[in-house]
Amino acid sequence: MNLTINQQDFSVSDEDTTRPLLWVLRDELGLSATKFGCGAGICGSCSVQVDGVTMRSCVTPLVAVEGKSIRTVEGLATENEVGEEVLHPVQEAFIKHQVPQCAWCMSGQMMTALSLIEKNNDPSEEEIVNAMSNNYCRCGCYVRIKTAVKEAATLMQEQEA
Amino acid sequence: MSKKSKKDATTEASVEAAVASQDVVNDTSDSVEVADKKSKKRRWRMSRRGFLVGLGITGVGAALGLKFGVPEGQLALAGMLDDAAAPSNVKGSPVAWFEVGTEGTTLYMPKVEMGQGVHTALKQIAAEELELPWDAIQVVSSPTTRGLADGFGTGGSSTVSSLFTPLRETAATMREMLKTKAAEKLSVDVADLKVEDGVVFAAADSSKKLSYAEIVSGVSEWDVPKKAPALKAQSDFKYVGKPMQRVDFKDKLTGKAMYGYDMRKEGMLYGAVARPESFQATMKSAEVGAAKSQAGVVDVVITEDFAGVVATSRAAAYKGVEVLNVVWDEHSGFSTADAMALCTVEDGSGLTVQREGNAPKALKADSAKVIQAEYRTPMAAHSHLEPQAALAHVQGDKLEAWVSTQAPFVVRDDLAEAMGFKKENVDVTATFLGGGFGRRLSGKVAIEAARLSQATGKPVHVGWNRTEEFKYGYLRPPTHNVLKATLNGSKIEAMEHQVASGDVAFPFFPEFLTKVFGADFGAWRGATNFYDGIENRRTLSQRVKLPFDTGWWRGLGLLANTFAQESFMDELANAAGVDALEFRLEHFAASEDGQRFRGVLTKAAEMADWGGSLPEGHAQGIACSTDVNTKVAQVAEVSIENGKIRVHKISCAMDCGLTINPDGAAAQAQGGIIMSLSSVFLEKVDIADSRIQINNFDSYPLITMRDAPEINVEMVDSGPEPFGVGEPPMGPTAAAVANAVFALTGQRLRELPLKLNA
Repeated sequence: MNLTINQQDFSVSDEDTTRPLLWVLRDELGLSATKFGCGAGICGSCSVQVDGVTMRSCVTPLVAVEGKSIRTVEGLATENEVGEEVLHPVQEAFIKHQVPQCAWCMSGQMMTALSLIEKNNDPSEEEIVNAMSNNYCRCGCYVRIKTAVKEAATLMQEQEA
Repeated sequence: MSKKSKKDATTEASVEAAVASQDVVNDTSDSVEVADKKSKKRRWRMSRRGFLVGLGITGVGAALGLKFGVPEGQLALAGMLDDAAAPSNVKGSPVAWFEVGTEGTTLYMPKVEMGQGVHTALKQIAAEELELPWDAIQVVSSPTTRGLADGFGTGGSSTVSSLFTPLRETAATMREMLKTKAAEKLSVDVADLKVEDGVVFAAADSSKKLSYAEIVSGVSEWDVPKKAPALKAQSDFKYVGKPMQRVDFKDKLTGKAMYGYDMRKEGMLYGAVARPESFQATMKSAEVGAAKSQAGVVDVVITEDFAGVVATSRAAAYKGVEVLNVVWDEHSGFSTADAMALCTVEDGSGLTVQREGNAPKALKADSAKVIQAEYRTPMAAHSHLEPQAALAHVQGDKLEAWVSTQAPFVVRDDLAEAMGFKKENVDVTATFLGGGFGRRLSGKVAIEAARLSQATGKPVHVGWNRTEEFKYGYLRPPTHNVLKATLNGSKIEAMEHQVASGDVAFPFFPEFLTKVFGADFGAWRGATNFYDGIENRRTLSQRVKLPFDTGWWRGLGLLANTFAQESFMDELANAAGVDALEFRLEHFAASEDGQRFRGVLTKAAEMADWGGSLPEGHAQGIACSTDVNTKVAQVAEVSIENGKIRVHKISCAMDCGLTINPDGAAAQAQGGIIMSLSSVFLEKVDIADSRIQINNFDSYPLITMRDAPEINVEMVDSGPEPFGVGEPPMGPTAAAVANAVFALTGQRLRELPLKLNA
């Protein structure tokens, strides 16, 4: 089976196409930025984008993402002309506000934030809270996440302009 | 559960003595790692100051390990009990290790980064005295074979406070050694040299200069200064006290940082282990059954108390475990109600852990007027989002393991014992941790991976799922607190606090030591009465033995004990008819501690506009606490929305002495408050029929952004020394919220999670 992840093509075994995307990413392809937290679609640590929509990869069967565009944290940063890493505005905002602590949940937080901002680049506080309140952060970084998501939206607006 | 983390004190002490009695000891395992194999110059020396100095030349630089004093194990333990701050150096080897190379300086530490920002703080401290540019030094968690023994691990909010001075002295000593060597190389008197940004230069002629890398190049022996080097004045600090950005965030936010669950190695396999339903169950028998013929299963390992499967994928390993024929001797019948019944204060029972004046006498004399209240907290789960994980590779009688652990040396010792390997043949590297909170101090998952690796000869990764994490770890114990006091006018005459709690620290100590201690210092942490203006105070700690595993948790007993004590203070303030802030301020003596408490209380009140006008339907509550000598006060502002308590704002003032990184400290406070609120509103583990009743987050939800209030944190610096910040903010939140709820509704809620009466 072919998968498109971060605009790259990957070929994976089609033996059991119901196996969760999460473990294909992590264990089969070595893309371990996407984290495991609960395996039940509750905590949000494993959030990725599939065709621009946030999905919980721990409960997303492989067959559901065939032929679709998958985006993970590994695909956020880009390279400039001289080969230097250029962070995505969401990553920049999360660093600027020194958001994470252990950061295990942060890939999921950032991918969830990205989907929100791509749909609505000027989210209100309430819209941010609604979008982000299904992602756990045990270190308790919620106050900073909220600020950083707002900042990321502003940065992305500026980038579009 | 591991009951042996401290068992080797005697052995270590004798090794240390052997080292101390010889001037030169060659070929310790510590120095092999960094020394050029061809070099004959490597040596260990004991300086007059009692520093153990290891020097080795790798061709690219110098390595220097210095010992932070030589405290006796027992003395260190006593110190830990005394001020509740564990020393990092309970055992005797060097605890820091610098390497200066052409690429910069690396500081190897046995302390792990679990989100608390400790690598950033240690870098601030080391870069300060070494006079290095910020980017020229990195802090890494060293593997255990590198030899920086740290039997305590990372926890107790103790890393920065215990290492601040020793690390400064070590770094300053190294700076002086570099200067001395530079003086030789430049033919300039050492007194005429200056150091800036990692370059030593002649004050009179800055063209005469050498970088640290140039200084160490080709040097095989170093002179240790005979006297302690001068430390920088606080006013000259460039990094300490500044909100430096965290060093680990870029890697963490781009997915490059490797956690235990992420570790991989060529040819690795995956393991899963059979587990019983109930706690205390033992394995009766196990047979391979159909497991070996399952697709993907590589091997099955069965011993008398262990059954596990190695497979080519995690899913195949778990499927293999499902078809093993394992018979357990299961237990049954024990419930939450049984736990609560066991965890009940028996009047006057337990060990006295605080006695000021004569509280029993004063209470008896005024027995008709005694005000009494009792409080409870339930079992809770750590719920760090990265479950237990380890990658182990056994090759012959050697073992390498990469583990999400707070205590690599404890894991090493556990592994050596379980596998029958020599300790020096076991190398444990602590990875980044997806949260710790006290739940990563046993070697269990690493032992599982090691057993399965040994059977197959391949690297094996074991990563627990959420259900395993919830059911087969250890819980925060239940607590019952009974408080009694008498008032004389508006002043407290006497106060007594009785704590009944399941074990917190005791499961991690050998039985004989628990008898020496008498009471579990983790259980009574935060329970002693810190109002030094009260003449008669007594605190009793009663050990409750439970049939399921309990243990460390962020702040240990702090959350439960402060909830009780500070709610009770509010009850007494109400009984006395005095404002809750004033009442607290009046019960501190004219002591240094009292002054610091007044400082944080006044600051938090000012931040929250205590007593000012609030929106309709809002009310405030205040509480304070002390932990590892850090004072914290918080004001909570609450309302009732749709019949539920809503917290709008927490104003937090924290005095941790000298703040190393104000932004990092604020982050710890914000996080601690959120974690406390999760306990205040939601967290509770139930037990039925000897089975833990939580399987995943659907049966154990955590707080989310929706219920996260505005949190303002301000630091109140009070001295030249830093105290811990990871746990202290956990103290006041629950009481501050409960006190605000009382102010608003008149309901005194004395049990967590807080639930309004209908």
